[in-house]
Amino acid sequence: MSVSESEGLLRGADPIRGVERQEARLAWGLVLPAVGTILLVALFPLAWTVWESVHLHDLRMPWLGRPFIGAANYLEALGDPRFWGALGHTAFFAATSVGLELILGLGLALAMNRAFRGRGLVRAAILVPWAIPTVVAGLLWRFMFAGEGGIVNETLLDLGLLREPLVWFIEAETAWVPVILADVWKTTPFVALLLLAGLQNIDASLYEAARIDGAAAWGQFRHVTLPLLKPAILVALIFRTLDAFRVFDLVYALTGGGPGTSTEPIALYTFNALLQNLRFGYGSALSVIVFAITFGLALIYIRLLGAELTGSKR
Amino acid sequence: MLPDLRRLAGFLLPVALLLAACGGASTPGVVEVTLPVSVLGAEAEVLRRQLRRFMEEHPDIRVVQRETPDAADQRHQLYVQWLNAGASDPDILQLDVVWTPEFAAAGWILPLERFAPDTSAFFPTTVSANRWGDSLFALPWFVDVGMLYWRTDLMAAPPTTFDGLVSSARAAKQRHGLRHGLVWQGARYEGLVTTFLEYLGGHGGRIMEQGRVVVASAAGRQALREMRSEIHESGIVPTAALTWHEEETRFAFQNGESAFMRNWPYAYGLMQDSAQSRVAGRFAVAPMPATPDGTPTAALGGAQLAINRNTEHPEAAWRVIDYLTRPEQMLERARVVGQFPTRAALYDDPELAAALSIPPAQARRVIEHAVARPVTPIYTQLSDILQVHLHRALTRQREPAAALAQAQAEMQQLLNRVGLGIGGPPARR
Repeated sequence: MSVSESEGLLRGADPIRGVERQEARLAWGLVLPAVGTILLVALFPLAWTVWESVHLHDLRMPWLGRPFIGAANYLEALGDPRFWGALGHTAFFAATSVGLELILGLGLALAMNRAFRGRGLVRAAILVPWAIPTVVAGLLWRFMFAGEGGIVNETLLDLGLLREPLVWFIEAETAWVPVILADVWKTTPFVALLLLAGLQNIDASLYEAARIDGAAAWGQFRHVTLPLLKPAILVALIFRTLDAFRVFDLVYALTGGGPGTSTEPIALYTFNALLQNLRFGYGSALSVIVFAITFGLALIYIRLLGAELTGSKR
Repeated sequence: MLPDLRRLAGFLLPVALLLAACGGASTPGVVEVTLPVSVLGAEAEVLRRQLRRFMEEHPDIRVVQRETPDAADQRHQLYVQWLNAGASDPDILQLDVVWTPEFAAAGWILPLERFAPDTSAFFPTTVSANRWGDSLFALPWFVDVGMLYWRTDLMAAPPTTFDGLVSSARAAKQRHGLRHGLVWQGARYEGLVTTFLEYLGGHGGRIMEQGRVVVASAAGRQALREMRSEIHESGIVPTAALTWHEEETRFAFQNGESAFMRNWPYAYGLMQDSAQSRVAGRFAVAPMPATPDGTPTAALGGAQLAINRNTEHPEAAWRVIDYLTRPEQMLERARVVGQFPTRAALYDDPELAAALSIPPAQARRVIEHAVARPVTPIYTQLSDILQVHLHRALTRQREPAAALAQAQAEMQQLLNRVGLGIGGPPARR
């Protein structure tokens, strides 16, 4: 006889509660492996990183040992202009690329939502950029924006928009152009598909009703499509902002963070500290900061999304 | 954050090879030592031949070549992971010249005194770059020096001053319709520091002096202004060079697009091949130019051989190093891949004259004046700071003086923080 059963008998509870308890225990038993895996896979590395981040750990200088140094790594990051620069670049990149992707993705989704011949083919074809590995895409765009013989320069020269080839990667302003374009090119399809799924969930009769009430195309979009699409937009925003905040491979392949450090995002700076300079403590502190920021962003979004979902159920 | 696939492959491949090697049967009585090297091209071919001869002479030692990535920073990462984990394998390490102090201070490589190496025959500059504290930690294997490649069909003699360089480059551009006057490595990486080091020396400046960073001196500012004006004022260097590494500059020069190029000796042999080079037989090399305040300066590069402190076979490892750094092996390397020997006496050998790209006497002068990058365990981090600020100045995001002042402050701060600021090395384990 198990403990819970005897407890149930002692309390004189009805047998149904006892069954419920048993089921609850069984449920816990069943999810335990999953919870354990999550703890091992997600929390353990995180805890380890946090532990590293409060220690001095420099692979290149073993003679310094591995002493506990409290918040020194964090303070160093906060006092480092390169860190703030990287954070600013990341925010700029995230805002610009995600904004563009949302607008373009919405346009594409609206277009694909119409019935036309070959719609299935278009929907499949639009995913091609998204399927290309990011590093490959990065190199592709690097070649396209090459100073001499790059297709972008050649085209702009032919159109008379440029008088001489532009070396895109040596000015901060121009170096951002290929980075953002490549990201928009690559991930707009993903946003478009998410939004398309949202569009298809909107009941067609609502549009009919709106039409009868005399709403024009803009009115329908403004008062029917947008409000009902909000959850899908938020989901797309969460995914894309978090991804954009951790951008690494695209910049690594395209600009390497240059010129100077003008396009260096926080993930590349962290990579540099961790794997180039082998400063595990400092690099871990940077990782924890990036984690905290993305986690905070996710929380804000989830709160917004949660409110939106319950709000739309009214 | 996705790890770069190439890095991942670069890490996994040697690990796989390592595992494969561990599983291999070993013959009793034979000591096995490992040597991580590049396994591609003519260089690997020479090494294989030399090791085969070595093993014939020493039947009790078997040398296994271990494939490692060619890119310096990837190789460095791999070494650090191995050594930090206390691995006894690989036994022998091929080090870049700027790594020796780092590995020595970390206690990862053996001091060589116990083998009583005779260093008198080597160039003093190459030996002192391999000293840390009071000990010698690696033997120089071959030496690399930065040089000025010039087109013999466009001018009678190479310029010896920076003003002369600018005017010759400009004249060549105008008279012969060349696209560029001069090309050098200006991307934000180690190569930029070596280019700058040569301009700096040419103006009489240095990066560090006795544990103090002095790069923001008047000479430093002049050197950086010179480089910047070559791009943005006289325009002899293309702006694209700010994204170029060694190979991009070589392609521009061998396609006949530039009158001058700053590069290492490796380019010479490749560009003499008329199948791929349009300038074969029409170029020569000279020391970099200088102002009256400075001296023609070559950045010192090259490879060294050291022994893993945790090796189980230090004696066998030393025998391999001793063999590979003998005069006859160096001559063979010079003949096949054009690498400069580190033994000064060889430059009087007529065999070397036939093998080298430039007259040995001239090569010897360049090597004797070669300038090592700062000898400190945290060189790579110092270089990283310098690269960023140099690149900012050259891309006109900062004024040269401000960029150098900031670089100097950050570098000094770093040195002070890790206790390497002024004076001797830290205590070793």
